[in-house]
Amino acid sequence: MPDADLGAYLGEVARGDQAAFEVVCARTAATVFGVVRSVVRDPFQAEEVCQEVLLEVWRCASRFRPGRGSAMAWVTTIAHRRAVDRVRAERRLAEREQRATAHTIAYDEVAETVQARLDRERVRRCLRSLTELQRESVTLAYYGGYTFREVSGLLGVAEGTVKTRMRDGLIRLRDCLGAGR
Amino acid sequence: MRPRRPEPHTLAGAYALDAVAGTDKVRFERHLASCPACVRELAELREATARLAGAAAAEPPGGLVQRVVASAALTPQLPPVPGPAERWRARLPMGTARRPARPRRALRARLALALAAMLLAVAAASGAIALTTEHRLGAAERRDHQIAQVLTAPDAVMLTARARPQGTATVVMSHRYRSLVLTTAGLPPLPAGHRYQVWLMGPSGDRPAGLLPAAHGGMTGPVIATGLAAGDWIGLTVAPAAGSPRSASAPILMLNLAT
Repeated sequence: MPDADLGAYLGEVARGDQAAFEVVCARTAATVFGVVRSVVRDPFQAEEVCQEVLLEVWRCASRFRPGRGSAMAWVTTIAHRRAVDRVRAERRLAEREQRATAHTIAYDEVAETVQARLDRERVRRCLRSLTELQRESVTLAYYGGYTFREVSGLLGVAEGTVKTRMRDGLIRLRDCLGAGR
Repeated sequence: MRPRRPEPHTLAGAYALDAVAGTDKVRFERHLASCPACVRELAELREATARLAGAAAAEPPGGLVQRVVASAALTPQLPPVPGPAERWRARLPMGTARRPARPRRALRARLALALAAMLLAVAAASGAIALTTEHRLGAAERRDHQIAQVLTAPDAVMLTARARPQGTATVVMSHRYRSLVLTTAGLPPLPAGHRYQVWLMGPSGDRPAGLLPAAHGGMTGPVIATGLAAGDWIGLTVAPAAGSPRSASAPILMLNLAT
């Protein structure tokens, strides 16, 4: 569906239209569930977070501003933020025991699942056009739910470098995705 | 050694990836409030992260959308412009504003609400037109009253279980009333002449406990089963439309009610 349509439906959702909300859910649920699951990993928690996200879309639809970005970006921003909140809360609990090893394991898992799930050819191709450090910084943060300081620790690269690679990486990704549209 | 303070402006990428936390985040958001160029850049970078989200898309579990839509029916929405209270609440750390004093009770209230939403949704979908006579209305009211009693019972416990090959069942159970309320979502449609039958199975034998109503939007409305006994399980089978006196077919779902 063109994103403008999704935005129009969101406008109707903001006015309490439940039928429009059903359409919005039907069209965003797979993306929301997918991104939440890549970050949270546990499928049951992912289901729970996904429901929270969609309900937040219902609750906060009036806050969507069409001029400030696409409807899909608005929804995925909510989804990713919620997923990251959840996974960080979980990590704080688990961290006390295994601070050193936890990151190594998590990193291996992230690299593998991300590669397995990036089934959209264009995104995968564009990710390949980034430098290795850009790609790792972006995917560890986005799919792994790590902060830039944590990514710096994981990769053994200075924080300042990671932070600029994230920005450069996203800009290049945006240009690559936008160009072939 | 304290970590070095990052330059706020260069954090836009990390922020778009939700990779900024703690004081870094507070500082960047403060910067964002006075930097329209950053807001524009952030919006553009988020179009890229949205594509990363799209690349991870995966089929959500069956019934998820229906459950959300049903819950939305009872969830109030925010007004367009945030008022001061809303802005203040938004700044509190996650969960602070809403953390319930008694989590179990709050959780139960939320679940009861979700079930109530399902009831409403199903009633709306079926048009509730079957209830034409005084007598039937009376029976339905009694049933709804019993259901409400279980959902709001002080000892109510909620359990969920997955069915084979797909679908979920949600049970709210009260030992005080020796009753449970069952709803399902995403069970496979059955061929004509068949229904899902509910069973209580335990040391005191297997007892049929009613038939599930027809599904609307993948969900079945609440069914109440009474006469719970210690050691009972709840089961679901596929039965002839009139129901079966004995649990002949293999259950598609079994849930231990011991808590």
